[in-house]
Amino acid sequence: MLVALNVLMVVFMLAPLVLVVWMSFTPDEFFSLPLQAFSLRWYHEAFAYPGFVDAFVLSLVLALAAATVAVSLGFLAAYALVRFRFPGRAALDTFFVSPLLVPAVVLGIALLQFVNRLGLYNTFAGVLAAHVVVVVPYTVRVIATALRAVPEEVEWAAMNLGSRRGTMLRRITLPLARRGMIAAFLFAFILSFDEVTVTIFMTGPAYQTLPIRVYNYLTDQVDPTVAAVSTLLIALSAALVVVLDRIVGLENLGR
Amino acid sequence: MTAPSARSAAVAWLPLLFVLPLALVLVAWFVWPLLGSFAGSVHPFTPAGIDRSRWTLENYGKLGDPYYVGVLGRTLRVSALISLITAVLAYPVAHFIAGRRGRTQALLLLVYVAPWLVNVAVKAFGWMLLLGPKGLVNRALMTTGAIDAPLPLVFNETGIVIGLVHGHFMFVLLPLWAALAGLDPNLAAAAGNLGARPWQVFRRIVFPLTLPALLAGIIINFCMSMAAFATPALLGGARARMISYVAYDVNLVDLNWPLGAAMAVALLVVVVALVWVSQRLTASGRRRVVFEGAR
Repeated sequence: MLVALNVLMVVFMLAPLVLVVWMSFTPDEFFSLPLQAFSLRWYHEAFAYPGFVDAFVLSLVLALAAATVAVSLGFLAAYALVRFRFPGRAALDTFFVSPLLVPAVVLGIALLQFVNRLGLYNTFAGVLAAHVVVVVPYTVRVIATALRAVPEEVEWAAMNLGSRRGTMLRRITLPLARRGMIAAFLFAFILSFDEVTVTIFMTGPAYQTLPIRVYNYLTDQVDPTVAAVSTLLIALSAALVVVLDRIVGLENLGR
Repeated sequence: MTAPSARSAAVAWLPLLFVLPLALVLVAWFVWPLLGSFAGSVHPFTPAGIDRSRWTLENYGKLGDPYYVGVLGRTLRVSALISLITAVLAYPVAHFIAGRRGRTQALLLLVYVAPWLVNVAVKAFGWMLLLGPKGLVNRALMTTGAIDAPLPLVFNETGIVIGLVHGHFMFVLLPLWAALAGLDPNLAAAAGNLGARPWQVFRRIVFPLTLPALLAGIIINFCMSMAAFATPALLGGARARMISYVAYDVNLVDLNWPLGAAMAVALLVVVVALVWVSQRLTASGRRRVVFEGAR
């Protein structure tokens, strides 16, 4: 009974993903059994549609930039939270993860009206800043966990031996917290690359990331060109997950 | 080893230097825009734009129009249904996974985490292929002669519920799994030795100990479902609009920003209140568990 339920649930969890991948390799418009033939037709169509290619490049650059900024800001903040005792530390700790509490729709509406007043609607800078706000709570948390594992005595030793704090951070702390930093970067990259809700409020038809292009395409029509794009997105996610698993172990991510 | 205290005492402003960049970014791009929503929601919307010289609560009053009340009612009803179904399904699954060996356990968890890492639009597309009028399920049922006309499984509330139960499953499963896997096996063994039947062990020991995790999962799921955007928009279609989609229309099609801001504020207040309640529940649940454990 329990086993049967679990088998059903595993099928439920994976069925839509498997079907998308399967669909992308058939020449047909609709799903049919038995599988007629193997075809890369929809991949050709996807690459021939400039909307998808441009959107992919934009998403890639945006996610790399957002992850870089969020990891840099996150490292500085996490270092202060872990290593220093100062008034207001607990409040800042809560403040840095507070964007997690606000629903994406609410943040999207607030930022839409904000970027319009600044004249940053439909701009890279506006979307980048929004993505940093969305992903930075995760980078602060992941990096703080990594820094707690770096023994403070190692830093004291370096500083007692006369190295400046900047040198010590660069030569001692950063290399020791490397795995956490990479994990935070990949995590931020995935979250930014997949972000839909906040972004859709801040951008119009002229400026679309890949998930939003897929979303808009699906509101118009359903054809397997999207299956090809989706399969590539699933492959990208899977690759990043394997890397994340190698570096930190997935069971530590969900907590 | 001693801390280089003299040196750090001389630079008491040092922590500020480290936290200031992020704090400034969050104040400018998170706190300030949210405050802007609060401020924008109390001005009237006129054909010429927002009249900032007048103050009003009429935007919040408009949320009482039958249309918005209907949308809000659907959003609450669908979110409650999603939370309930997810909880009923996730509990036995978490119980099953917690009882497996290390490697199987990790693999099963990966299966349940995997959909979360796939883009929401991609998942919605998968559900359209499965459940649409010409989808796999309907074609299979029609070929076997079980039905004559396709079942309406997507582009309605059913589609939203299926899509979001799938999309949010992990957020209920993981805390439940952590609570169940973290239980001391001696507790159940002791109860068994004292004559409790397996059902009694579950009802009197296991379930109360995991109840805080279950309640927290239900509330988090409820909040996430209420605020979800792309999944309900794609799988609900024009017949089943949720509050997030209507908020999008109000802000980007009608350009009625004061009303849009009022919707954002109302949604934020509801979600923050629910999260607060969930934390209270979890905290009091733990206290009660500790107290009963000590008796």
